Amino acid sequence: MKIAVLIKQVPGSDSPLRLNPAGDWIDENVVAYEMNESDSYALEEAMQINERSGGGEVVAVCMGPDRVQKIIREALAKGADRAIHIKENDHGETDPLVIAKVLSEAVKSEEFDLVLSGLQSDDLGMGQTGVLIGEMLGMATATLVMATEIQDRNIKVKRELEAGWFQWVTLPLPASLAIQSGLNQVRYPSLKGIMGAKKKEIKVVEKSDLNGGDSKQSLTNLHIPKAEKRTEMISGEADQSVGRLVEVLKSELRVL
Amino acid sequence: MPEREVLELDVLFVGAGPASLAGAIKLNRLFKESGQDASVAVLEKAAEVGAHSLSGAIVDPRSIAELFPNYKELNIPVEAEVSEERMYYLTEKKKLPFPYVPPSMRHHGCYVTSIGKLTRWLGEQAENEGIDIFCGFPGTELIYDADTVIGVRTGDRGIDKHGEQKPQFEPGADIHAKVVVLGEGTRGSLTKQLIRKFDLMEGKNPQVWAIGIKELWQMPQGTVTPGYVAHTMNFPLGHDIFGGGFIYGMQNDILDIGLVIGLDYKNPGIDPHHEFQRLKMHPWVRSLIEGGEMVSYGAKSLPEGGWFSIPKLTVDGAMLIGDSAGFMNGQRLKGIHLAMKSGMLAAEAIAEAFASNDFSDASLNSFADKVNGSWLKDELWKVRNFHQGFDRGLLAGLMNSGLGLFTGGRGWGLKNKLPSHNGHELMQKGAAAERYADLEFDGKYIFDKVTDVYHSATSHEEDQVPHLHVSDPDICKTKCAEEYGNPCEKFCPADVYEMTGEGEDRRLQINFSNCVHCKTCDIMDPYQIIDWVPPEGGDGPAWVNL
Repeated sequence: MKIAVLIKQVPGSDSPLRLNPAGDWIDENVVAYEMNESDSYALEEAMQINERSGGGEVVAVCMGPDRVQKIIREALAKGADRAIHIKENDHGETDPLVIAKVLSEAVKSEEFDLVLSGLQSDDLGMGQTGVLIGEMLGMATATLVMATEIQDRNIKVKRELEAGWFQWVTLPLPASLAIQSGLNQVRYPSLKGIMGAKKKEIKVVEKSDLNGGDSKQSLTNLHIPKAEKRTEMISGEADQSVGRLVEVLKSELRVL
Repeated sequence: MPEREVLELDVLFVGAGPASLAGAIKLNRLFKESGQDASVAVLEKAAEVGAHSLSGAIVDPRSIAELFPNYKELNIPVEAEVSEERMYYLTEKKKLPFPYVPPSMRHHGCYVTSIGKLTRWLGEQAENEGIDIFCGFPGTELIYDADTVIGVRTGDRGIDKHGEQKPQFEPGADIHAKVVVLGEGTRGSLTKQLIRKFDLMEGKNPQVWAIGIKELWQMPQGTVTPGYVAHTMNFPLGHDIFGGGFIYGMQNDILDIGLVIGLDYKNPGIDPHHEFQRLKMHPWVRSLIEGGEMVSYGAKSLPEGGWFSIPKLTVDGAMLIGDSAGFMNGQRLKGIHLAMKSGMLAAEAIAEAFASNDFSDASLNSFADKVNGSWLKDELWKVRNFHQGFDRGLLAGLMNSGLGLFTGGRGWGLKNKLPSHNGHELMQKGAAAERYADLEFDGKYIFDKVTDVYHSATSHEEDQVPHLHVSDPDICKTKCAEEYGNPCEKFCPADVYEMTGEGEDRRLQINFSNCVHCKTCDIMDPYQIIDWVPPEGGDGPAWVNL
């Protein structure tokens, strides 16, 4: 299989988040970046698909400023065969339509059998990339993928539904799959993998050279919600206080 | 079961800090110049280079200039050249400027720097020059052939809290190298093993450590002068505890504020984190952070012992550099340039060893000769008795230091070598004096340890064996509780140690996932029963610009 894996670099989940002075993005100076969690599962799944089906190529595709080289090299160290870096200058595009267009422009000429992406990014969480790319490249598309099985020119996938239910769907190739975290055991890079990564190709493409169209949505303002703690002491006779408690649970907290 | 990976290299540096990175760069260049086809790699326990690096820091650019003569044209990430220097003696409410700051304690021509950023930059240079850096791989064991070090074993991954293998278990790798260079930083875990095995401190003064604790504060726009430097003495530590405060101006209105405390204090009730919080209660210090927001926290120990506490530097197949060896100038509050220089001198010795194909102690020991013949020794020799002077308090220490300026570093103006003492042995038994009654954790300027730890972005896989090994936990609830009142709860700046339960159920709980890798517990535990070993690769703080 020839598989593209879309990976994104996001702020580490343990990094304290602050806003920049303009209030339209986070302060990148205090953030340690890492590979988006579900993307690392997508990468692992791509490698496992090829290991099971007897070979192929895994290409890591990443859009972002220079700092994303770190996760590109991580992907190569783990076993991706080569990479495409779509270079941006600022902190990165945030319109999911433009992101999907740029990515599909970057990969369409390569005629991949599969495009794997993480279900959603841990920073913006739009969850649209895999679906939009499927449409743009004319691929069958599945989301919330929990397992994969190649069957000749089809791929059978297990999708996670609500309330513990699953659905098996068979899609024709080529296909775009949005991968759910936890479907496999992500490997660690080996020492030899890290050494070998240096010799692998990273093709750098300027985002401005790809026809992504104009952003129709942008972030104008971020704010951190104020955590407010409020304690109400309910006093009085048991009957009355139970009545008040039920009212709070029903109308204010809406848990009943 | 996955097979153990084995890698054959020529030279392996352990710990991607300034010492190893400078050494690796220098060595790689020497190999290239001489046409030697030899591989150089660096092992790092953090997830990325610089994530476990913490320092003040004011950097003397001397070694950077030696390694990168055109460093001013390179995009080296210093914050600012030191532009304004102050030294204050603080009383509880007031600050008194020192009338005279000796030249050796001035920082003209030096740079306020984030060691995290500098180390990342050095890492990039190293990689650009063809050196492999293996991040997320802690060295956990030295591999020997008889008594010759022949490599390093990295930590296993995927061991659960009971010591059993998890499904994703992967055994650590064996990296074989002709020379292993330990640049693990302060109180390195392999360094500790090596020093013990070969008794490398024989005839030396015991190493004496301090702990440095710092926070970065984001101040309102346009209020911080990059390159502003202030050092403080006395409050909150008083005269009997070695140390002092530092306040540095960084770019983007970040104020770097911290406190260094000697790990040779006597009162077991001392809590270095709380002392640092008290520093911020000083009216002047408070005025500096008024209206700001704390954004990062970290702590690290540092070797203060000086020249006489530097161990024998080589054994068959291995050597010690940087903080692992104790190359730190306590008087100048600087070690980064010395660490880098030690790595570069080690590189010269290694290149010669390759030329003669002899990696024995006798061959590698030319490193010690190179240290002795370099400015590194000149600088440390002049302040060789600096820390020892403070054994008798602040004023005595300052006097000793002042006299040393006129006598080339003699102790009390007379003696060539003053002895030092193991810090943990100086702790006095008995009830601890209460010092923190007035400390109010307001969550705005004064923080408890848990809040601070959150700002260190520390994380550890929870399902693993705690990486803090306490060899006899019974001592904690019996002897230690009685004699010292469990000082581990206090000296740890990250709330790792906690005595819980009552009566029969009393026990030590180790909240290892809080650990910021400062090594204070390993150093300061009065019974020396705590052994700090690396947790799973990549775990620990995720510092960006400390």
